[in-house]
Amino acid sequence: MLAQYATTLTFIALGAIFAYSFYAVLIAGQLSLGQAGFASLAAFSAASLAPSGDDVGDVPALLAAVVIGMAVGALAAVVLGLPTMHLRGVFLAIATLGFAEAVRVVLLNQEWTGGAQGLAVPRILTVGTAWTVLAVVAYWFWRMGRSRYGRALEAIREDELAARSMGIDVGRHRLAAFITAGAVAGLYGVLFAYYVRLIAPNDFDFTAAVEGLVTAVVGGSTMFVGPVLGSGFQTMVPEIQRAVGVEAGWIRPFLAGLLLLVVILFLPGGLASLIPRRTRVPSMSGADPVPGLAARRHPAAGETVVSLTGLAKEYGGVHAVRGIDLEIRSGEVVGLIGPNGAGKTTLVNMISGLVPPSSGSATVLGTTIGRTPVHRVAAAGVSRTFQHSKLFNRLSALENVLVGAHLVSRPTFLRRLLWLPSARRDERAALVHAARCLERVGLSDLAGNRASSLSYGDQRRLEIARALASEPSLLILDEPAAGMNHVEAARLSELIRSLARDGLTILFIEHNVGMVLETCTRVVVLDFGEVIASGSPAEIAADPAVIEAYLGTADDEADGRSIADGTLTDPTGAGGAVAAPGAVTNVDPSAAGTLDLPDTTPRNAT
Amino acid sequence: MQQLLNGIFIGSIYALFAIGFTLVFGILDRLNLAHPAVFAASAFVGIELVERGGLSLWAALPIVFVFGAVLGLVIERLAFRPLKGRADAHFAGLISSIALAGMLIALLQWRYGPDTRRFPAGSFPETRFEVVGAQVTLAQVVILAVSLTLMVGLTYMVTRTRLGRGMRAVAENPTAARVLGVNVDRITAVTFAISSALGAVAGVLFAINVNTAQLGMGAAIELKGLAVIIVGGMGSLPGALIGGLVLGLAEVFAVQYIGSSWRDVIAFGLLFLILLVRPQGLLGARRVREV
Repeated sequence: MLAQYATTLTFIALGAIFAYSFYAVLIAGQLSLGQAGFASLAAFSAASLAPSGDDVGDVPALLAAVVIGMAVGALAAVVLGLPTMHLRGVFLAIATLGFAEAVRVVLLNQEWTGGAQGLAVPRILTVGTAWTVLAVVAYWFWRMGRSRYGRALEAIREDELAARSMGIDVGRHRLAAFITAGAVAGLYGVLFAYYVRLIAPNDFDFTAAVEGLVTAVVGGSTMFVGPVLGSGFQTMVPEIQRAVGVEAGWIRPFLAGLLLLVVILFLPGGLASLIPRRTRVPSMSGADPVPGLAARRHPAAGETVVSLTGLAKEYGGVHAVRGIDLEIRSGEVVGLIGPNGAGKTTLVNMISGLVPPSSGSATVLGTTIGRTPVHRVAAAGVSRTFQHSKLFNRLSALENVLVGAHLVSRPTFLRRLLWLPSARRDERAALVHAARCLERVGLSDLAGNRASSLSYGDQRRLEIARALASEPSLLILDEPAAGMNHVEAARLSELIRSLARDGLTILFIEHNVGMVLETCTRVVVLDFGEVIASGSPAEIAADPAVIEAYLGTADDEADGRSIADGTLTDPTGAGGAVAAPGAVTNVDPSAAGTLDLPDTTPRNAT
Repeated sequence: MQQLLNGIFIGSIYALFAIGFTLVFGILDRLNLAHPAVFAASAFVGIELVERGGLSLWAALPIVFVFGAVLGLVIERLAFRPLKGRADAHFAGLISSIALAGMLIALLQWRYGPDTRRFPAGSFPETRFEVVGAQVTLAQVVILAVSLTLMVGLTYMVTRTRLGRGMRAVAENPTAARVLGVNVDRITAVTFAISSALGAVAGVLFAINVNTAQLGMGAAIELKGLAVIIVGGMGSLPGALIGGLVLGLAEVFAVQYIGSSWRDVIAFGLLFLILLVRPQGLLGARRVREV
């Protein structure tokens, strides 16, 4: 009875394996259409090089062919991947497509491939073998899902820049995903060749590539069962149509297209989204350090953490930041304030390695900024949040924090493949660690929620938890209190101070001046890209230059109140005019609180 | 010289097709893979208009233009608008437009059958010109003239008119454009309509040039269209024109000097080279990444 469906079943397995080669890169957010080229190269090399089944037996012959094919596929992926890995989105898709087409035309013009006539290959593959291989491939991707490597790929898909700042080497991960795709595509090519008896370069054309992509996306590119479901769907739709007697040549492709459209429009995550996805949230037990995580030794109090000399950044003639000399020592809580456009975010972008300085030099935790890639800066102990939340939106809150723990957790993928207990222990340790970070910012209840479904304030706190998970020595927060009410802001201020007590050094940008003065050990004021003041909160509150930058001159004194709240943009005229004496006496050190709006009184009371 | 002219004729069709592609990508950041199906469908419709409707070739062109515009609206409505605001809109848009393309081709097969179709004999004027020793038919001259007119018209529209300003605003920042009172949905629909109308005219011109229409003709030009927009620079209209001409010429000369079987390797070699050396294309602007 099975024999009757053997062909259909084999094609489902083959289609699924091919779809996995797309899944392998889609999971990391890369769209590649070169898999048909990899499969083609693999199929023809294996068919020409592998020993014949008559000499060594069928199974060894197929095994040899598979090894050759996967190696060729992976090698082709390296050759194509190295020069194209800097491309994104459709650019990568088109470049890889160009490669596949070039492969097709070249093979078509070769003698050894038989050209357009093709190459005869013995049929060795059986339905059982095909499904066994599919099971192995599916197992690989299943075990990858909840490993550190798998999470890193997902993080890259969701937000590459944030993944970089969590210490993930994006280039290496993307290339690894690409090579996996090449090997799996090669595997498909070989199996296909040993099943259909005759292969021609045109079997691996653009249409084939598109079919593989469609299968992977329809099935769902975020869950490992997706390609199998997709292949089942794509193969069964024409079969079922034939079975129910739909015969006219055009109806079948029409219905297939219609179904595809319906699936893609109404099932955003593909067919796999019909399967509920559960998030495990571990129970917390005690506050002991989690075993199995790499503990970071913070620099001793007073050691230099950040050292900037003459640091400047210029954007096409606009000096965003110029001539900054600044030292931050371990244990300090430094608040960075200044009007909008003063260059605060540019400065922290340079410190965290995201933006190379135009001139000057910067050393952060022993790394030289400008020459060090972002993930290395992160590995040195810098972690940050962003002014506009850059969360991994389709991952749960807990998974976001787990990605944050990338640097302190151990790689688990290969050990997970073998079901080693140590991998389970390490994963559990990372989970407990992540759960604690969530607890610290008060998000334990929302651990299983998607990051994108959280409220704005919760998203900001989740970013902080994610940044904390890497056990940073230097934590950079870019406007963490934006969107928080004063009760939440007060709690945040308490959190920051407690982190400082743990030995972290903290640099944070904030427009809520009251909160900055209350939280920081030192305040640095930036205006027009330059440091105009630096000192203790009390000194800053009394500094005439600061008052001038914030409150402007006597003429626009009326706007003064809203500045502390951050709602006022660049104070115009602050550069030239001298502050009227009256403006200064209004804000003397003892009355630092008057920089706040009246409604912040309850916060001071807590 | 003859080769040069042939290259320019075929290149101008590639350019017209690719401009439709790049218009949608440049303004809406979406790749519409149903565009090749529009290209094929309009070639068949064009032939039918001439064959059964008894129209002259030139009267059929405006009708096909309108037909393409309507198809564009349908594509936008069915394959792209429902995806608005989805995190995976990029991938999903590719797939939904592929699905719609499959349906369109199936409908073509239903109406016209799987066979190659040609214009009835005598629909082409026999006039020939001699340009610096090369033979040029009137049809070819018209192809070039129509392509250039449409491209110039489009460029004028995008850079000078109110609609074009709306398009550029949407391209920069859809949210800001909406806040400022630009009807983003309407601009999106119009962009698709114009893009498909151009693709439709390109389809008929292509059919005139080779006097055949096949179901697979869209798939064949799809890759070239993609190559053209990469070579010229994603979203750049003049880039698509130059890219189309470069590709047309490269192909013609490749056939002449290397052999016809290697034609496509030249096209994709060119594409690959551009992507490696200048990923933003000849005339494209590099996008600044934001933090």
